[in-house]
Amino acid sequence: MKNTLEISPKDMINAFLLFFVITTCQTGVGIQGFQRLIYADAKHDAWISVILAGLSSHIIVFFMIKTLELYGSNDLYGIHQDLFGKHLGNLLNFIYILYCSVAFFLILENYIEVISTWVFPRLNPKFISISLLLLVIYTFLGGLRVIVGVSFFSFLLGLWLLPVLIFPLKFSNIEYLLPILDTDIISILKGAQSMTFTIIGFEIINIIYPFVKEKDKVKRHVHLGLLVTSFIYLTVMLITLTYFSGEQLAKTIWATLSLFSIIRLPFIERIEFITICFWLIIILPNLCFYLWAAYRGSIRLFNVSSKKFVWIFSTIIFIFSLFVQTRIQINTYTTYLSKVAFILVFIYPVVLYILALMKKKFSGKYGEKNE
Amino acid sequence: MNKWRFIILSVCIITLAGCAETKILERISITTLIGYDLEDNDKVSTTAVIRQVNPEFESKVDTISAENYTSKGTRAKINLKTSKKIMAGQLRVVLLGDELVKNDIGPTLESLSKDPDISSSISLAVVEGKAKPLIEHKYENIKDIGQHIYMLLEQNVEREHSISSTLHEVSRVYYSPLSDLILPVLKKKDDLVEISGIAFFNDAKMVGQLPSSDGFFVKISRDNYKSGILEIIINANGLASQSDQNLPDEVPISIDAIKTVRKLKLIDSSDLEFDLNIKIKGRILELHPDVNVGNPRLVKELEKAIDKKITSEISRVIAYSQEINADVYGFGEHYRSHVRNSKLTSEKWHEIYPKIKVNVQVDFETIRSGVFE
Repeated sequence: MKNTLEISPKDMINAFLLFFVITTCQTGVGIQGFQRLIYADAKHDAWISVILAGLSSHIIVFFMIKTLELYGSNDLYGIHQDLFGKHLGNLLNFIYILYCSVAFFLILENYIEVISTWVFPRLNPKFISISLLLLVIYTFLGGLRVIVGVSFFSFLLGLWLLPVLIFPLKFSNIEYLLPILDTDIISILKGAQSMTFTIIGFEIINIIYPFVKEKDKVKRHVHLGLLVTSFIYLTVMLITLTYFSGEQLAKTIWATLSLFSIIRLPFIERIEFITICFWLIIILPNLCFYLWAAYRGSIRLFNVSSKKFVWIFSTIIFIFSLFVQTRIQINTYTTYLSKVAFILVFIYPVVLYILALMKKKFSGKYGEKNE
Repeated sequence: MNKWRFIILSVCIITLAGCAETKILERISITTLIGYDLEDNDKVSTTAVIRQVNPEFESKVDTISAENYTSKGTRAKINLKTSKKIMAGQLRVVLLGDELVKNDIGPTLESLSKDPDISSSISLAVVEGKAKPLIEHKYENIKDIGQHIYMLLEQNVEREHSISSTLHEVSRVYYSPLSDLILPVLKKKDDLVEISGIAFFNDAKMVGQLPSSDGFFVKISRDNYKSGILEIIINANGLASQSDQNLPDEVPISIDAIKTVRKLKLIDSSDLEFDLNIKIKGRILELHPDVNVGNPRLVKELEKAIDKKITSEISRVIAYSQEINADVYGFGEHYRSHVRNSKLTSEKWHEIYPKIKVNVQVDFETIRSGVFE
């Protein structure tokens, strides 16, 4: 099909880097406390929900890549414009930009909330958000290759957090997992749906696809990335479920961070403070990629330079962050976002694929007649 | 351009790092131990052991107490009495007066779990009587009561003489509707503090207490056990037939390096019959000189006698817990995890629990008996 994006080779990235892009985009603020949300629906079978959510992410990514392959080298914004025409396509593009911006905003707010609760209760949140935004702006202005580099290091530097979770295993009680499948299927599926906010991030493939050098290897690396994150989520979920008793987990807001709180090493008494501060490196690629995705969409709508865009964007985010102060607000907005994300990330790509396939068939026929 | 950006950024990072809250050691006082008591007027009184670091002198240990309606409110009142702000990040032990735990332990647990400053690895213990006199007493040989009690509990938990009672373990049991918690009990004895027993809870209230000597039996019926020492008095009737010497009716025996494996099995879900099977391996450390442990047949008789004794002791502590209706052994949790759709609630289980039947079976095996037969 027509309408492909021309990208100079020096802006492109290797396909294997997609593995790091996908894993770091998926893990973020969600993993700090996703357990209780899923426990609320699926009870002690929550780990089955995690597996189901992981499986469905694989299926959705399969459709996403299929759609992108139809167009050769284009991103979601271009596909929208091609499929729905200029006006409707741009409206959809605008919705997607809005979604990326809100996701960016809520990741930022959730992280600030964690910092304020655990580490610096009396520090002004404005200060944290300004310093985080400055860091994101600095990374963003380096371009896509720098952002990908950040996500590569974020993955490697964050690896030490996993073995630390062995310590809480001392307190694990396997009986909390039994009997398996005690909860009905509907509740388990509901639990899988509650994973949305935690598991999203892989939709970045829609935008980053034209920038990948070896298009034939995209599938392999993206699915590998998804597999690794699903595995991380499953491990964390199993450790959590055996470590906390049911009602206790329902009351623990950031269960992953509480897992760290039992660890007492001879040289560090309270390791959770280090992990919370370290989480900045984990969420940095998250923020950068959502910002970048929003930027890629915006240049299709307006004529704007990346520098101008990032400053305007950050200012708007900062102004909005002044209005969101309490935990309840952040919680409500996060729930809304995860509902929207469920439609946008888990249902819409399938619809889009069917439409793109139909369009390809029809336009092919018309083409023959005209000739 | 890039150079300037780098310089500005590094200056920002270095200077702004100091803008966050600072907690300078000389300007804070560190709480290591807190005691909560319930007062007559429904107020909570808090006694805190506070360590202050002075630049000139060595660190100084103080105790301060205050009363208020919430435990955090007392902290504000305590702050009024010190020149340095109180920090709870180094808190190690929380002591609870027995009137407080006989009333309701829930609010205290919740307030401790809510505070991000407090680690979930702090230990909890009940004090016989009030916590305040135990903390405030000027002990002859104990300089820092906070550190002392922490070491006392830690050492005994490590050697498995006392039950582990970290905040996490306690609140995990507390928030699980089908199991009840136990806590170690401390007691001031003249110029010493000792672990005097185990407090049993029914839901949020302390309902009973067993002496520390029963701790072993409670522990092995709850979980696997890895070390420790045990002294029991066994009936020597069986031994007499195998031994040529005259033995007294009852022989004291001391066993150490104990390893136990506990297996719980629900054998009848309608009649609620459990099989509690405990395998013990240990070393005989001390025994009547006339019992010859070189004789395999005699050792067999000895093991039988030990089995019998431990079985009866475990049955006794389980019967006690049923009598006061405190399921500290996890029978309820086991039932829930092995019966589908049990839909048990706390009330329902506590109605059933006194009626459940537990068949205790102990299997003791002598691994070795020291360097001298």
